[in-house]
Amino acid sequence: MPAEEAELSAWVFQAGAGDQMALKRLYQAESARLFGIALKILRDRVAAQDALQDAFVSVWQRARQFDPQRGAARVWLAAIVRHRALDIARARGRETLTDDPTLGDEAVTDDPVERLAGAADAARLRDCLSGLEDKNRKSIVLAFVDGLSHAQVAEKLDLPLGTVKAWIRRGLMSLRACMEGAS
Amino acid sequence: MSPPEIPDAPEEVHVLAGEYVLGTLDARVAEAVRAALPTNPALAAAVASWERRLDPLTRLAPAVEPPKGTWEAIAARIAAPASRGVSAAGRAAAGWRNLFGAGLAGAAIAGLAVFLAVRPPAPGPAQERYVAVMQADQAAPAWVVQADRGEISVAAINRPAIPEGRVMQVWGLAPGDPGPTSLGFVPTDGTRFTVDASRRPPVDGMLVEISLEPPGGSPIGRPTGPVLFIGRLERVLR
Repeated sequence: MPAEEAELSAWVFQAGAGDQMALKRLYQAESARLFGIALKILRDRVAAQDALQDAFVSVWQRARQFDPQRGAARVWLAAIVRHRALDIARARGRETLTDDPTLGDEAVTDDPVERLAGAADAARLRDCLSGLEDKNRKSIVLAFVDGLSHAQVAEKLDLPLGTVKAWIRRGLMSLRACMEGAS
Repeated sequence: MSPPEIPDAPEEVHVLAGEYVLGTLDARVAEAVRAALPTNPALAAAVASWERRLDPLTRLAPAVEPPKGTWEAIAARIAAPASRGVSAAGRAAAGWRNLFGAGLAGAAIAGLAVFLAVRPPAPGPAQERYVAVMQADQAAPAWVVQADRGEISVAAINRPAIPEGRVMQVWGLAPGDPGPTSLGFVPTDGTRFTVDASRRPPVDGMLVEISLEPPGGSPIGRPTGPVLFIGRLERVLR
């Protein structure tokens, strides 16, 4: 059962005060979700486990810097894990193209954005993503969810690298305008 | 001066922050962004906004149980003394100061919503009441507080569980007070409770907050644990 945001925040604060049990509770509540995020990016259980370990050590060291006014604990935790996983992906030579057949998995044929449902934040993001051009949206999802570099997105979508860079850039600008304008 | 990777134009900052959160930057630029975050508030705010905007996409990654032994490896790494700069006690004290400082600034601690509605202790001729709303997330737990004749009644909306081995203590801090006054404790269950407000009668601008404390409450007469909920009372004329 997912922990309430209030519990997660309390555990982050307690971890910041040096309480290891609080960090363990955070781990118990969040490790499967966070490992899933890292595994999707790295497609390698050993590397994803490294990312998860590093992320929790980082949570322990940075818990005092957690600022709930900047965002929810759930978002903060996911960001730490994602950035650690992305760093590992970069160190493993993500910029070099490979023939990895699992690259991006099903994301191109399927439109995973349709699976975003439920909470209001997801609905707004889905609506704004739906307003983007198809390949714009796919580029953004492949980058964020699957951890693909510009070059990998270009390879996956069979498009010139410069085109992908420009599309992602334009997609981000449109997305921000849509999400801020709707608030 | 920002390094060449970090632009100054607002639109460029938002795009760079978006690319950073998206993960498409190469290692060198990503590291430059990360290094700039502590000293570049505009960039840090833009990154935080993108983390929040794009966060729902993390739900597209299915949850997977991590391999056994992962927690043990983390526990071993954080147990090493070198992983912390100062003693746990020193950190706890500093943590408290930071939290309470944030509370005084009117922060919505822990991203939680607090809704306070306070009437003066006795019905006055002007029929005044006090209200405050702080809401960071509509889905978050909240407490509705009403004060009447020296008694503060509190009702929970979607109340959170009290972590095992801890208590939640209620505090009041009016402008000019030298420190917070304990008003009582949140019971372990139930969605309504009352605390005695005679020790610190509600006034305009008073902070009401709930902190997490060891059993029996704070031993030092002011919050020692994290402040989980905080709201500021405001007077409303009707």
